[in-house]
Amino acid sequence: MDTVKIFYKDDCPLCPSAKKLKDNLKQHMVNTLSYNVGTAEGLAEATFYRVMALPTILIEDDGENLVKEWRGTVPKIEEVLYIVNKR
Amino acid sequence: METTDLNLFVRTSEETISDWNREKIVDALIRETFIDLDTATEISKEVEGMIRKSGVKVVTAPLIRELVNAKLIEKGLEDARRKHTRLGMPIYDVDSLILHPNKENANVPHGPEATNLTLAERIKKEYALLSVFSLDVADAHMNGDIHLHDLGFVDRPYCSGQSLEYIKKFGLNLPHSLSMAKPAKHPEVLLAHLIKFAAALQSNFAGAIGWDAVNIFFAPYLEGMSDEEVKQLAQMLVFEFSQQAVARGGQAIFSDINLYWEVPKHFVDTPAIGPSGKFTGKTYGDYEKEAQRFVWKLFEVYKEGDGSGRPFFFPKPLVHITEKFFKTEGNMDFLYHICDVAADKGNTYFVFDRGETAKISECCRLSFKLEEKDLLDAKQPWRMRYCALQNVSINLPRIAYAAKKDDTKLFNLLGERFLLAVKAHKQKRAFLEKLLSLGENGPLSLLTMNRDGMPYLRFNRASHLIGMVGLNEMVQVHTGEELHESKRALKFGLKIIAHMKLLTEKMEKQEGIKVVLEQTPAESTSYRFAKLDLHHFSPLSARVIKGDISTGEVYYTNSTHLNIKSHINPIERVTNEGIFHPLIEAGSISHIWLGESHPTKEAIADFVLKTFKYTTNDQIAFSPEFTICNRCGKTFRGLHEFCPSPTCHSYDVDGITRITGYFTKISGWNKGKLGELKDRYRNGEYFSKKMLVANE
Ligand SMILES: [Zn+2]
Repeated sequence: MDTVKIFYKDDCPLCPSAKKLKDNLKQHMVNTLSYNVGTAEGLAEATFYRVMALPTILIEDDGENLVKEWRGTVPKIEEVLYIVNKR
Repeated sequence: METTDLNLFVRTSEETISDWNREKIVDALIRETFIDLDTATEISKEVEGMIRKSGVKVVTAPLIRELVNAKLIEKGLEDARRKHTRLGMPIYDVDSLILHPNKENANVPHGPEATNLTLAERIKKEYALLSVFSLDVADAHMNGDIHLHDLGFVDRPYCSGQSLEYIKKFGLNLPHSLSMAKPAKHPEVLLAHLIKFAAALQSNFAGAIGWDAVNIFFAPYLEGMSDEEVKQLAQMLVFEFSQQAVARGGQAIFSDINLYWEVPKHFVDTPAIGPSGKFTGKTYGDYEKEAQRFVWKLFEVYKEGDGSGRPFFFPKPLVHITEKFFKTEGNMDFLYHICDVAADKGNTYFVFDRGETAKISECCRLSFKLEEKDLLDAKQPWRMRYCALQNVSINLPRIAYAAKKDDTKLFNLLGERFLLAVKAHKQKRAFLEKLLSLGENGPLSLLTMNRDGMPYLRFNRASHLIGMVGLNEMVQVHTGEELHESKRALKFGLKIIAHMKLLTEKMEKQEGIKVVLEQTPAESTSYRFAKLDLHHFSPLSARVIKGDISTGEVYYTNSTHLNIKSHINPIERVTNEGIFHPLIEAGSISHIWLGESHPTKEAIADFVLKTFKYTTNDQIAFSPEFTICNRCGKTFRGLHEFCPSPTCHSYDVDGITRITGYFTKISGWNKGKLGELKDRYRNGEYFSKKMLVANE
């Protein structure tokens, strides 16, 4: 099953909508992990994925291969669901 | 006053012999400590009694002082004893110091000047630990929790980044110097000013001096010069820097020259300063061709090497590659040119300035992303003078020994050590502030000179470095795997550095000082930490410490590097080491050890391009090894026990390669570094012809 990884920060302008996306995806039973880059855990993960812009949203498959990414923008939930459900 | 009939003489520190005078003990105690007159008098009488009983006829001032100290301890006056301490060295140590080379800093040759340097350093180090830093900080350094770098240079800032523009604009007008030189009219004169200024600066900083965009700032002087003349200037520059070995104890000047093929964006529209310090009416963007001519010739000089074909140790050429490089005419020719030098002599450092963030290299491998206020400075580049006040490294594996696999404990301890390092920075900062406040009559007068409306050293902009040693071993102890062994281990390492990075941001807000992470150039620290931990944390430490425990050639892996011995494909190494680099603001590097192999310039160029495009690695350097024969004077590739020349075979040879960030003779290395040298994986397979085909 695919995993959606959401990277955000407390004080970035687009981040609230990324957090909303996270909540909605969870309601749709999509495997979602979110990372606050203001924490060591979140910053480490963000660095690993070379996240330079916030928010960043990544979709990975079971083998942790990147399927789709949005860097600095927030996709509509339909877009994410379409990719996750298609596979 | 009480008289004494004691027939006793005292050899004083002023090279005189005076009559015994007990009052001098009292005077010193009152002057130097806070004890009261009665106690001081009592102590002086007791000491006098001891000397009288012993029957000696001549005593030395140091002996009297130690006898007084013994009395202070007897009376429980520990604080007074600290204040009354005498700094110095046993005669045995001085004797061996004068006779034998110093292995602590591979950059210092052995000789009377070097001995002076070491003696002075020892005393200043003791002074620093007793008087500049608080007891807890000093103890943490002594026991190896942290390492305060360059304590022997406690009365100077650590390292600095400089701009040629300052001497172009203001000439060479240094405080207390006998002559004042107006801004240079000719390139050779500018070069002479540069060298003199570099020497003056070196005596005011502990570490490296980096010069920004040297070929670009020289460019306005080169108009009308023939190619031969430019080559000659390039030759002079490299030779002068590399031979300037007299300035400090025979130590070469740790100097970096930062170079560009393209004129980086932040300098394109900057008004250019030319002969006599006047604006030429053009911008640096207009001087691209001249700047390119100079940097090309500089690398011709590096390619040739010194008189006997050895690589130049200094100045280190750092070539910055920005996005604009790829759009600048002649870029591939230039890339092959510098890769040829990298393959043959190893000198070239490839610095990757990706994206829109401009960077300037400061010191050692230090670079700073230019902030908005720096970009304003870039319009007046003589203002671009940066410095770091001090470097403190944290012993990471030791934290893991104490945490016993408990995450909370681990991060908590890391935080504690980090705070201690910041405390050390604040103490050094306060001390330097005191020295600088003495202005032009103080010890750091050069740094207080004011030619452009602000002191030369921009103290409020100074940064404070925090380094790390042995991330690999820390992760190994805590998770059971080394950084290269699993994604989990690598990510855990990242979490440690991310935690440290967040702490720097917190400190900046809380303390108002700029604290940044740096990859410690730990030529002696990784050995020192390993040795101490082997002693205090066995058997846990013995399982992870690298090198050979039986010979004492032990070390921790430098900073955030991967295990130096493991056979990791160099592209993978550069990629995975590079993941850490965005978190380490003050600059990082990955080393690719070449050993004997001699890759083609095409293979190196391919590697460099891949690194730029597909990794977040900040900087790479390729390090070949050489043997020089002291009998026949020839230089050979690889490390050999004796001269490979069939007609020579002399055993009087020296090995040369990079110790950490710079080339030195291996004979001067400490045991830890020798252990590391034996372990270095030299990438022979990757850069052999067969692999080259596979890579294309
Ligand atoms: Zn020979």
